[in-house]
Amino acid sequence: MRERYAGRSLTIAVLLAFIAVSVILQIIRIQTGPEADVFRALGIDYGRFPKTFYPERGAIYDRNGHMLAGSKTVYEVGVQLSEAVDKPAIAITAGNVLGINAEDLLGRMEEPPAGLQYLVLEDYVESDRASELRQLQKTSIALAAQGQASRLRGLVLTAHPQRDYPEGALASNVLGFVSREGRGYFGVEEKYNSLLAGKPVRVWVPTDPNKAADIPRVPDGTTLVLTIDRELQASVEQILDQAIEKYGAQHGTIVALSPKDGSILALASSPRMDPNQFWNYGVVYQNASEFDRALSLPYEPGSVFKVLTMAAALDSGTVVPSTPFLDTGIIQVGGATIRNWDDKAWGQQDMIGCLQHSLNVCLASVAESMGAQTFYRYMNRFGIGHLTGTDLAGEAAGRLKVPGDSDWYPVDLATNAFGQGVSVTPLQVITAATAVANDGRMVVPHVLHAMVRDGRQYRVPAQYSGSPVSPETAHTLSQMLAVSLENESSSALVPGYRIAGKTGTAQIPGPVGYEDGATNASFIGWGPVDDPQFMIYVWLERPSTSIWGSETAAPVFSEVAKKLVLLMSIPPDSVRAEIAKP
Amino acid sequence: MDLLQAGHSVEHLLHASRQAPWRSQRQWIGVVLLGALGLAMVASLYLDITSQAAIAGREIQDLSNQVIGVEQVNADLQSHLAEITSADAMEQRAASLGYAPADSTKLAFVLVPGFQAPAPEILVATQTLRPSAASMRPEYSESLVSWLGRQLNGLGSPGPGGAQ
Repeated sequence: MRERYAGRSLTIAVLLAFIAVSVILQIIRIQTGPEADVFRALGIDYGRFPKTFYPERGAIYDRNGHMLAGSKTVYEVGVQLSEAVDKPAIAITAGNVLGINAEDLLGRMEEPPAGLQYLVLEDYVESDRASELRQLQKTSIALAAQGQASRLRGLVLTAHPQRDYPEGALASNVLGFVSREGRGYFGVEEKYNSLLAGKPVRVWVPTDPNKAADIPRVPDGTTLVLTIDRELQASVEQILDQAIEKYGAQHGTIVALSPKDGSILALASSPRMDPNQFWNYGVVYQNASEFDRALSLPYEPGSVFKVLTMAAALDSGTVVPSTPFLDTGIIQVGGATIRNWDDKAWGQQDMIGCLQHSLNVCLASVAESMGAQTFYRYMNRFGIGHLTGTDLAGEAAGRLKVPGDSDWYPVDLATNAFGQGVSVTPLQVITAATAVANDGRMVVPHVLHAMVRDGRQYRVPAQYSGSPVSPETAHTLSQMLAVSLENESSSALVPGYRIAGKTGTAQIPGPVGYEDGATNASFIGWGPVDDPQFMIYVWLERPSTSIWGSETAAPVFSEVAKKLVLLMSIPPDSVRAEIAKP
Repeated sequence: MDLLQAGHSVEHLLHASRQAPWRSQRQWIGVVLLGALGLAMVASLYLDITSQAAIAGREIQDLSNQVIGVEQVNADLQSHLAEITSADAMEQRAASLGYAPADSTKLAFVLVPGFQAPAPEILVATQTLRPSAASMRPEYSESLVSWLGRQLNGLGSPGPGGAQ
C-alpha cells in the first residue's frame, strides 16, 4: 500500500517537475528567441503611454501690471462610446446645456466614424456650462437605481486652457490673437509666440506608480510686460473713434511713444476686433495689412515728411533757420510743375516760415539745393524704406525710390521733399522723428518692457538705431517747429506745454494719378520741447469734414497730448521750471 | 572499564542517531523550511516596500493632477479679476460713484522733495518654489531589487564622495 502511494507521489512529482521545467524553458525560450525584442518592446509600451505636455501660455501685462491677456479654463465635452449606456439621455442633456440640436448629437453618437471610441460633442465650452453638466452628472448618479449605471455615464468633460483677453478689444491691434491651435497671429502674440507658448514636451508617462517622479515639470510660457499704459491706450482709442466720427474719416491711427527710449505708450488703429472672438477676423479685416495700420499700411504722408527734409538740410549745412526764400508759388523740377498746397505765392520767407506755412515749393527747392545724393543719404539714415525693427509682427517697409531705380525721376526728389511719391508707415515717420526730439539719436520703437520667466523678471533695454543728425540740428529744428506752431496758433497746441510739431495733408494716389478731394491728414508732434517725454503721430484717412491736417489731425493730437500729460503725470512747463530752480 | 563501555554506548547512540533516516529527513525539512522562511521574509519586505512606493507614486500623480487643477483655477481667478477691474469696468464703476475724468485745469502739482515717479511694474520679486522630487534620496523611492542592483553596480566603483 505504502509503495503504491509512493509510486503515485513520484509520478505526480515528476509531472509537476516536468511542468515546472517546461515553464522555465518556455520563459528562457521567449526571452532569448527571435521574438524576444518584439515582446520586450511590447512590454515597454504597455508600461507607459505618450503624452504631450503643453505649457500654459504666458500672460501679457501692461506697464502698470494690468492683465491684457491671460488664460481661462474651457472644457471639451465628449462621449466614451463604449461606456455610454443611454445615448439619447446624453444627447438631450448635452444638447440642452450646450445649445446644440439633440437629434444631431444622437445621430453622431449612433453612427460614429469607424473605429472611433471617443467622440467630441463640443469643445471650448465655458466653465459655467461645464459646471451645469457636471451637476447634472452628479444628480444622475444619485438618482441611478442601486446597481444600475448612471444615465449620463460615458459623458466626459476635459478641462484645458484657452487664451483670454479680459480687456476685450482694448489694444487688440497691439496684442494680436491666438488661434485655437495655440498659434499667435499679429502683434505681440505673433512676434513673441515662441516665448509666450513655451516649449511643448512630449514624454512617455509611466503607468507604474513607482516611476511617477519621472513625469517632467513643463515650465510655463514666458510672461510679458508691455510698455503700453492701459489707461492711456483706452483714452487714445476713445479719442480716435470720436475723431473718425467727428471728421468723417474712413479709418485712423494714433501712435504715442517715449522719444527717449522708444517705448510705445499707446497704439490705436481702426478698426479693432475683440480677440476673444478671433473668428471674426475675416469679417472685420479685408487683408492682413489693415490689422495694425500704424506699422503694416504704408501711405504717402505729405508734409509731416518735411520735418525729415528740413533736418537733412540743416544738418548738411544747406540752410540755417534764417536762410531766406522767395516763394513764387511754383517751381519746375525735372519737367514737372510743383505748387504750394493753396496754389499761392507766399513771398519772402525764411525756413521757419517755410515750415509754418508748409510750403511745398520751398522744401522742393531746399531739396534741390541739397542734391539727391545728400537727401537720400539722410533719408536712408532716417530709416525710410527700411523696417524700424519694432517688436510687433507684420511691419511693412514702405518704399522710397532712389536715384538708380528704374522708376525714379528727378521730380521725385522734389515731391519726396514734401512727402509725396514716398510711402511710409506712421511708425517709420515717428521713429525717424525721434532723432529730432532725442538729441539726434533715433530709437527703435518697441512694446516689450520686461519678460518674466522661471520666477525672474528680465528688463528689455532700449535700442538705438543710429544718429542721423547732430544734437545741434535736432535742437534747432525742434525750436523751429515749436515757433512755427506758436506763430500759426495751431490747434495742436497744449496749454501749459511747449510743443513742436508739423501737420501733413497728402493727396492719395489712385490707379490714374492722385484722387480729387481725398486726402490723408496727419500730424506729428512732441513735447515738452525742452525735455521731450512724448511723441504722438496722428493719421486720419480721408476725412470728409475737412481735408486739411491742420483742421483734423492737429486737434486730435492736442486732445491726446492733454490726456497723456495727465495720465503720465507730466507737469506743465512752468511747474517743471519751478522744480528745476536750485 | 565501565566508563569505557559507557563511552562506547554513547558514541553508538550518537552514530545511530546520525544515521537514523528520520533524523536526516528532519534536517532537510529544517533547511527547506528555513529557506522558505527567509524567502517569505524577503518577499513580504519587498511587497511592503513596493506597495508603499506604489502608494506614494500614486499620491504624487494625484498631487500633480491637483497642481494642474489649482493652476487652472488660479488662471481663471486672475482672468476674472482682470475682467472686473478692466479699464471699461473701472470707468463705469467710477462714473456710478459720481467720479468724472479730471482735466489739466483741475490739477494741482505739489513739490515733494525726494519723490520718485513710479516705474513700470515689477511683477516678480521672488523665486518660485521648486518640487523637491529631484532631490529625494533614491532609498525613498526605489524597490528592493533596484537597491540591490545599485549596490552590486556600485561595488566596483567608489560612490559619490567615497573616493580616498
